[in-house]
Amino acid sequence: MHVIIFNGSPRVQKFSNTDKIISSFAEGFCERGNTYELYSISNRREWGDARRAFNENKNILIALPLFVECVPGLMMEFLETLVPKTESTQISYILQGGFAEGSQLRCGEEYLEKLTHELGCKYGGTLVKGNNFMLRFMDEMQVEKETDGYREMGKIFDRDCNFFSEECRRFTGPEIYSLPVRIMLDILFKTAFKNTAISLSKKLGCTKPLDYKTLETDEQWSEDVTVQQRAV
Amino acid sequence: MVLIVNTTSDKELSKEFREILEERNTEYEMIEAAEMNISPCLGCNFCWLKTPGTCAIKDDYEDILVRAHKADQLWVITNTALGFMDHKGKNIFDRVMPLVTMNLEFRGNQMRHVMRYDKNPDIGLIYLGEVDRDYLNKWNERCAVNFGSKPLGAYPFWELKEAAACM
Repeated sequence: MHVIIFNGSPRVQKFSNTDKIISSFAEGFCERGNTYELYSISNRREWGDARRAFNENKNILIALPLFVECVPGLMMEFLETLVPKTESTQISYILQGGFAEGSQLRCGEEYLEKLTHELGCKYGGTLVKGNNFMLRFMDEMQVEKETDGYREMGKIFDRDCNFFSEECRRFTGPEIYSLPVRIMLDILFKTAFKNTAISLSKKLGCTKPLDYKTLETDEQWSEDVTVQQRAV
Repeated sequence: MVLIVNTTSDKELSKEFREILEERNTEYEMIEAAEMNISPCLGCNFCWLKTPGTCAIKDDYEDILVRAHKADQLWVITNTALGFMDHKGKNIFDRVMPLVTMNLEFRGNQMRHVMRYDKNPDIGLIYLGEVDRDYLNKWNERCAVNFGSKPLGAYPFWELKEAAACM
């Protein structure tokens, strides 16, 4: 089987969590001789070839991060350039996000099914999973471990050619965390998670607190400067 | 104050909307954004981790963000494509991320990002074209929860008066 994969993330490939997920998924998918072509929507220079591949192939897989409950604006812009098909092409999706609960991605998943029909294609299901925010900050070994499940899902896609199986449904994890887990996580959000975020921000050269109120603080700063200038 | 961002090129619609709002004495600002230089969000997360609260992209969206922060309501007038708002409309929402922090909390039974500011604009949509209105309303509800505010609903362009009644 030959599959066209679109990475729908607007983030450059080097830092794309979706790209890391695709790599792992493709390893599993290609284990028995399948092949794929990858197009990154973040690179507008690839759009022409990506459109051609969409037109000429019948098995499409779109992997994307959830942006504000749906498809990222840049991916939407690319999709708007596609001509809907009339022959039988299947589109399947890998939808990933930062929030860990499956329920966070369902609004986006619902749209992907609608999108498939808008493009005149058959829906091959959506592999839904969150909790992927940290992938870009991990080393190769950690990424391999964290994305190992996607490798298995690649094998399932090789077997079924869609994401409708019980294994894929289970892969999502909990839809909503139970109350005890929420209480525990809430404590972690205020302690360990916050410290990790601060540490990451320092590595990126950040000199301000993460909850810095830029618009209010800078407005006040601007007003203070004006008052001082008037005084002078 | 109500901020209305028109991402379509339909100036007649803006004109009609202005007349309705002025008749109602609504305090509003309208931005014609169709021809503005507004890049999509590139997902760099700099507004969370490197320059908290400030987007790394320097374009015409900067002014929209400042006004959205001050507004009580943010309405986006958008074209539709492929059963959803088109990319120009979606970009307005994707770029709101500097109003959100990296920190997490549980709001109700779901994880959410902690908002950067105490006050956040309620969110509404006015759309051109044929789409599943129920889905847009559902999207609007979830989107507003993400931004710590209230959903105002999705209205087709022929219901401008109904939208204005919420302002």
